[in-house]
Amino acid sequence: MKDKHPVDEEPPLQKPPFFKSWAGMYWLVLGNLAFLIILFYIITKIYQ
Amino acid sequence: MRPLDWIVLLGTLGFIVSYGVWKTRGSKDIEGYLKGDNSMKWWTIGLSIMATQASAITFLSTPGQAYEDGMRFVQFYFGLPIAMVIISITVIPIFYRLKVYTAYEFLENRFDLKTRSLAAFLFLVQRGLAAGITIYAPAIILSTMLGWSLTATNLIIGILVIIYTMSGGTKAVSVTQKQQMAVMMGGMIIAGIMVVRYLPENVGLGDAVAVAGKMGKMNVVDFSWDWETSWNDRYNFWSGMTGGLFLALSYFGTDQSQVARYLGGKSIAESRLGLLFNGLLKIPMQFLILFIGVMVFVFYQFNQPPVFFNEGTKSKVYATAHADELRGLEAKYNDIFEQKQEAVQGLVTALKAEDDAAIATAQAQVSTYTSAGKEVREQVKGVIKKAVPEAETRDTDYVFISFVMKYLPAGLVGLLLAVIFSAAMSSTASELNALASTTVVDIYKRSLKQDGDPTHYLNASRLFTLAWGLIAIVFATYASLLDNLIQAVNIIGSIFYGTILGIFLVAFYFKRIQGNAVFFAALLAEAVVLYCHYFTDIAFLWFNVIGCVAVILFGFILQGLIGKRKKELVA
Repeated sequence: MKDKHPVDEEPPLQKPPFFKSWAGMYWLVLGNLAFLIILFYIITKIYQ
Repeated sequence: MRPLDWIVLLGTLGFIVSYGVWKTRGSKDIEGYLKGDNSMKWWTIGLSIMATQASAITFLSTPGQAYEDGMRFVQFYFGLPIAMVIISITVIPIFYRLKVYTAYEFLENRFDLKTRSLAAFLFLVQRGLAAGITIYAPAIILSTMLGWSLTATNLIIGILVIIYTMSGGTKAVSVTQKQQMAVMMGGMIIAGIMVVRYLPENVGLGDAVAVAGKMGKMNVVDFSWDWETSWNDRYNFWSGMTGGLFLALSYFGTDQSQVARYLGGKSIAESRLGLLFNGLLKIPMQFLILFIGVMVFVFYQFNQPPVFFNEGTKSKVYATAHADELRGLEAKYNDIFEQKQEAVQGLVTALKAEDDAAIATAQAQVSTYTSAGKEVREQVKGVIKKAVPEAETRDTDYVFISFVMKYLPAGLVGLLLAVIFSAAMSSTASELNALASTTVVDIYKRSLKQDGDPTHYLNASRLFTLAWGLIAIVFATYASLLDNLIQAVNIIGSIFYGTILGIFLVAFYFKRIQGNAVFFAALLAEAVVLYCHYFTDIAFLWFNVIGCVAVILFGFILQGLIGKRKKELVA
């Protein structure tokens, strides 16, 4: 019997989700990094 | 190990291996075997990338690193999200346009065969060594803690990986990594919850973090820079953002074990999203693992820790004439802990009362007892060195597994061992798959046998997977413990990655530099990195920057000389 994978039949993504362009996705990743660094800095200062 | 632990461990591993073989049965062509028929969705790619990077060493060593050194290791990953963005913009479109199987194929297109072969060779050397360590690192720890034979443990990990990697190739690696990531993250989160639950009743999570902070373990970010000393500091913001960025660019952009993960995507968009998924989640994941290590540290402020976490080594010392000396030090260490208990409880009370003066007093007392404890631990290490000269005296890799074995209930021990085995298998599978595809595509098919049919290359890929698996097992069996295991892997990577990255950066951005110049520039750069490693104190993360910059600089100089010589010859 042939193994069927419904997920594999989905068309591949061509555009980024949530954003109109890839630039939005890139800024999300870089913004997340900036947020984490600020958060970690605050944690370091609070618990020093 | 109790029966329930065995059931959980064997059931988890058996399911993952069987699933990998079943899901990818009948791979009949080289395209499917090496690129997974370009059928991978972004979440599979993202999880696969994370599982490839997260080896067993990550789960054994990282909590121990936090126990000893606090949270600052997380800074090592600060360059990673930036690297994910750069690779998504520049590298992925080129690899897709050229329809390459390996990253090194691109180099022949841009330069020449010898540069492609050099990069493939550097990759095979460093990844071949790393694959051995990926198996060896958990095997040595598990065999010591569980009393298993080291060779048998190496064989179990190696053979399980070889079975499904040989059978299904890239797709088997990626589909099993989804299950492995679920086991790994599920297991670690449960372990984190358990360690917080095991804290005394009057100590909540907030109190535990506050105690850790007062004991110097919540040092997540360090922006300070000193021109005299910071170059030798492995983990600060600046080394993470520069060295970490270069290491991540090399690892994700040029290391076939990662490139193969996203080359199997259904489209460029799926591959990009898989990488960006890693860019979003990698730092929080490492933070979580380090945080669990810090919580284990806090747990041992209220529960007697062993004077030395590697019980196997301790047993060896007990069998020598130094046994009484060790017992004496152990008793002294336990006494110090008893006295420290009162000071730690005083610190908790002072923190709850927000009484700054009392906090300072308690902190000073705790610090005094901690220093005394550390002194005794150093003496213990001295005794171990005298009694068993070949023994490794670093025990941080044993901290987390020692906690798991001693304190977690039946079933969870099996689950946490499954986490470690899954992690070892996921990264080893990617490595074997990448080593085999690079050997077949860049060496065997390109330079040794160009007239084979697809079935021949499929069989060759399977045989090279088996061969690299056996080499890794043999290397693992004869490897000796190197400093801290996670650092050993990163040091080996850093020695070669900078040069490989330099070659790729020249290929992408410096069109003026041609094949001969970049080839000899790479050889000179590798010599510079090896000199730095053996004859200077420069922290290994900087090797990535040095190797990369050296290739570019030497490339420009040599290209200039070659151009000048050509002009002279023409004239």
